[in-house]
Amino acid sequence: MDQPVRIVLAKVGLDGHDRGIKVVARALRDAGMHVIYAGLWQTPEAVVRAVADEDADWLGLSLLSGAHMTLVPRVLDLMKQACLGHVGVIVGGIIPEADISKLTGLGVAKIFGPGTSLEDIVAFLKSPREPVP
Amino acid sequence: MIAELVGRLRQGDRNALARLVSHAARGEHLTELQRALTPSLTPARVVAVTGSGGVGKSSLIGKLISVLRSQNHRVAVLACDPQSPLSGGALLGDRFRMGSTTDDGVFIRSLAALTGHGAVADHLDVVIRLCEKFGFDVVILETVGSGQGDVEVRNLADVVVLLVQPESGDDVQWEKAGILECADVVVVHKADLPTAEQTAAQVRAALDLSPGRDVPVLRVSTKANQGHAELWQAIVALPLRRRQPSPACMLMQSLSDILSAQFREKESAPELAKLAEAWQRGEITEAEAVEKLVRILLMHQPDEPEA
Repeated sequence: MDQPVRIVLAKVGLDGHDRGIKVVARALRDAGMHVIYAGLWQTPEAVVRAVADEDADWLGLSLLSGAHMTLVPRVLDLMKQACLGHVGVIVGGIIPEADISKLTGLGVAKIFGPGTSLEDIVAFLKSPREPVP
Repeated sequence: MIAELVGRLRQGDRNALARLVSHAARGEHLTELQRALTPSLTPARVVAVTGSGGVGKSSLIGKLISVLRSQNHRVAVLACDPQSPLSGGALLGDRFRMGSTTDDGVFIRSLAALTGHGAVADHLDVVIRLCEKFGFDVVILETVGSGQGDVEVRNLADVVVLLVQPESGDDVQWEKAGILECADVVVVHKADLPTAEQTAAQVRAALDLSPGRDVPVLRVSTKANQGHAELWQAIVALPLRRRQPSPACMLMQSLSDILSAQFREKESAPELAKLAEAWQRGEITEAEAVEKLVRILLMHQPDEPEA
């Protein structure tokens, strides 16, 4: 049976810009997904705990602070430690071109920068997942 | 698979708990789950927190968690939010108000509740038992709103805590059916607001008209961090209402699960269509049709040729 996609959306670190993540949350809800909104100022540890307890299929992180090369690898690392390798991670926000391949190399499934259409995010999350390496 | 997951749950594997909760909430493997979850010898105290949207249920629960952790309770929170009847989507936005936590003694899980399902998520009874089995001695249910939903939640919880806020209507509001009837404890939340005492007085007056019920009315302010410990004291002063279902009742539940599963499997079988037609044409009564339906669902294997 087709079960709704469960996704945790969170902002890690001290970045307080949550307009984008709220718009994405609304779009994913309207696309029939179950969105667990974890909100602002989360620590990587708390986000990973939320992903575990919520049995999420996806984690969506939003970063506009420039701290992505510190925080995203930390989250990915903690996910592995918590045996959550099966959960896909997407990142949205301001990520410079040069960092995109670094982050996808570390295991981020997809990065959605400024100008991304909501339809693209929905389509990506609804398409069949590539097997976790 | 369920047996393996339950084994891991017993050993304290949180990921197994989370996955089992997903199965239960979707109504998957219910018979196996019921079988694996023998009644707990130390049942948890199940506290329902209800009240209309915006009254502060999640924020209050966040503070209540701190009180409970300071007394070494292990707490599971099951937060129900509505699921859209149109898209099937849901925005589960309770956990971020409860404060971020990495405490092993706290489990917060968001669940989508279909509209018309009594404001609580499906199969919540099984989810509660999973949390008990994992070792949580307090389970807090946060439900979508008050009214009809409270009746459903009353069957699941030992204590129903109803949150109201100041400026929420005149004294006739409290006379409406279902609002106060189901509450074991009433909290006037946001008690830092100036008219909180007036609201508390109205609620007390309405409750005084029902003799024989002694419902505490407490003022709590999450903003001012006041009244949460007193709320917990009032909750533990109440007896555990929730009783384990009788064995007969458990069998009945299991029968209904088996029938539903079989029906899903055989829904398009020609014999079912024949039976339904005979009933629609009035050749057999509804009672006869139902009896035959049950027989088909329980006895016949769809692949076996008719004798």
